[in-house]
Amino acid sequence: MAGNKKGIELAEVIPDKCIGCQLCAGICPVGAIEIIDGVARIDPDACIGCGKCADVCPVESIKFERKRPRAVRKKKAETPAGVPGYEGVAVFVEVLEGRGASVSWELVGKARDLAGKLGTTVLGFVVGREVEEVARQALAYGCDDVHVVDDPLLETYLPRSYGKAVSDLCATVKPEILLMGATLAGRDLSGVVATILETGLTADCTGLDIDEEKRILLMTRPTFGGNIMATIFCERHRPQMSTVRPKVFKFPEKDAERKGSIHHHPFEPPAGELPSVVELVRDAAAGGLVDITRFPALIVAGKGACDAESMPMFQRLADLLGGMIACSRPVVESGLLPYERQVGQTGKTVAPKLYVAIGVSGAVQHLVGMQGSERIVAINSDPQAPIFSVADVGIIGDYKNVVPLLIDELERRMKWETRGA
Amino acid sequence: MNLVCCIKQVPDTADVKIDPETNTLIRSGIESITNPYDLVAVQAAVDLKGRYGGTVTAISMGPPQAEQALREALSLGADRAVLLSDRAFAGADTLATSYTLSRAIDKLRQEGPIDLVICGKQAIDGDTAQVGPGIATRLGCTQFTYVTEIRQVDQTGGRVTVRRKAEGGSEVIIGCLPAVLTVELELTKVKRASLPRLIDAQRVPVAVWDAESLQAEPERLGLKGSPTWVRRIFSPPLKKGGPRFDAREDARHAVEACVAALLDDAAFAEQLLKHWER
Repeated sequence: MAGNKKGIELAEVIPDKCIGCQLCAGICPVGAIEIIDGVARIDPDACIGCGKCADVCPVESIKFERKRPRAVRKKKAETPAGVPGYEGVAVFVEVLEGRGASVSWELVGKARDLAGKLGTTVLGFVVGREVEEVARQALAYGCDDVHVVDDPLLETYLPRSYGKAVSDLCATVKPEILLMGATLAGRDLSGVVATILETGLTADCTGLDIDEEKRILLMTRPTFGGNIMATIFCERHRPQMSTVRPKVFKFPEKDAERKGSIHHHPFEPPAGELPSVVELVRDAAAGGLVDITRFPALIVAGKGACDAESMPMFQRLADLLGGMIACSRPVVESGLLPYERQVGQTGKTVAPKLYVAIGVSGAVQHLVGMQGSERIVAINSDPQAPIFSVADVGIIGDYKNVVPLLIDELERRMKWETRGA
Repeated sequence: MNLVCCIKQVPDTADVKIDPETNTLIRSGIESITNPYDLVAVQAAVDLKGRYGGTVTAISMGPPQAEQALREALSLGADRAVLLSDRAFAGADTLATSYTLSRAIDKLRQEGPIDLVICGKQAIDGDTAQVGPGIATRLGCTQFTYVTEIRQVDQTGGRVTVRRKAEGGSEVIIGCLPAVLTVELELTKVKRASLPRLIDAQRVPVAVWDAESLQAEPERLGLKGSPTWVRRIFSPPLKKGGPRFDAREDARHAVEACVAALLDDAAFAEQLLKHWER
């Protein structure tokens, strides 16, 4: 390790590892670190060799090997486990047309698992108008206590009224964790609640776990457009908040016999005039739009199968499998299929039982939207296509030859099955 | 009408990858760009200025080189640009970022009322979509996210009407000014700047504000003001993938073998062949 003019041993950045997160620049007590072209640079003449940058670096990109006094190193580990006064894993149960959103129940299922590791309870937060039935469902899906704010003013989702209701609930109930679905409303609301409570929020998580020693939530999410995964934590602020994508966690078993209690809280409306919705357009009413997340099978056309002539063939395969045609981004950009059929980072996250990718190369941005599928079949003429690495079975070849044969073979199998039954 | 746009300089994420052998970021040739959603926000503000008159101020928090993003906003027609740059801002998560940006908007408000703050829905490097709602909450403004159309701004009545995405469709919603809007890419097309405007954009001075000029509380800035920390960064787990059958020679045989492999699991096969028990 190099020393500077003052003979101080310096910290050194390994440029290949540096992700330019600026954590080191923020913590350097002498301002010796600057981010240049996305990489941390340490000014050797300003560095005092304290090693704080090496401690804070999430990717171990700073070399600093000088032994420091033990006390400094140990400080981190001695922080108390958890924050006293906050307990329970809460789930915000999103209400859609009088029913709980399925992602909310998926989160209740995951919350049971997290609460088990923490030795605590699962709380349901149900906010809306006439939501008593949803509150009972929350118990059946696994909540121990359900906290309800039921008010005519909460009939429609608005960030200010819901933000007030949920942050007030957090102030009263004091959960250590608050989870929400990463739906349109959930992503809109979570930012409001976290700001009011001045706490940490991690968006769009695809994995949750508990560091049992420190009693903190570990939240893993895709970042940089899905090219990189990051595990985030929030040590000192409560509740630890996270939004989670739909279909990441399993839908839990419902048990109507499950016992628990429902608590009602009054709603104190926020000051000022609230916005009002003057027109609501349902996608289905706007010209037969399709929700691809609801089908057990998807036939997915990619750039390599982006031609109008093949669509009837894909439709036959979809009909045969009880599925629907979806696509990757280039197909939407070509104008062949509408946006609501798009799977991936900028489209929908899907998890059907069967995913048939035809001419889909498998860019990371696409993969993050479909990796939860139960079975993946890939058909591609390029043996090197990354889609094969996530596929359970693959066929290398021209889809125009393969798909008709696939339809024949499945028909044959289905006939055989009915005869056998 | 006074409009403020919040913009961010981001790495072009399509190119960011991890080297599978060394498990380090491959960063050669990665360019910094202005977040595409934010360019739409600036264009929307400039269009509104065209419709109703007023001024557009672009602000960005970042290192000195983020000035480049502000220059791009100026070239699209923004009148003024402010760079929020200070070592104390470094390492900010979304909570600290929304605090810093709202302090800057507060400072702009001292010069005159702000009617609309327009932000991109999210930045393509983090994809959090949290900063817009954070700013709206801190400023006590009406919050409309996922805006696809700005229908009307009624300055005398103090109302704004937008179309925004909502679960299962879209809604037209009306609310009080001032408001914070976060916009979708389809709101408008970004118009490429003409050469004279590009040159003009280089001439406009970009103001630089530091923590002191924002009268910000130091413990709410940057790393210190950030409740969330990164513990670990890694490549998305790679599955190895199942068997592959080559259909380039004997397609029928390959398809038969593939279907056999797919239906290897009896329970799955039964579900599929019986149309998922519908």
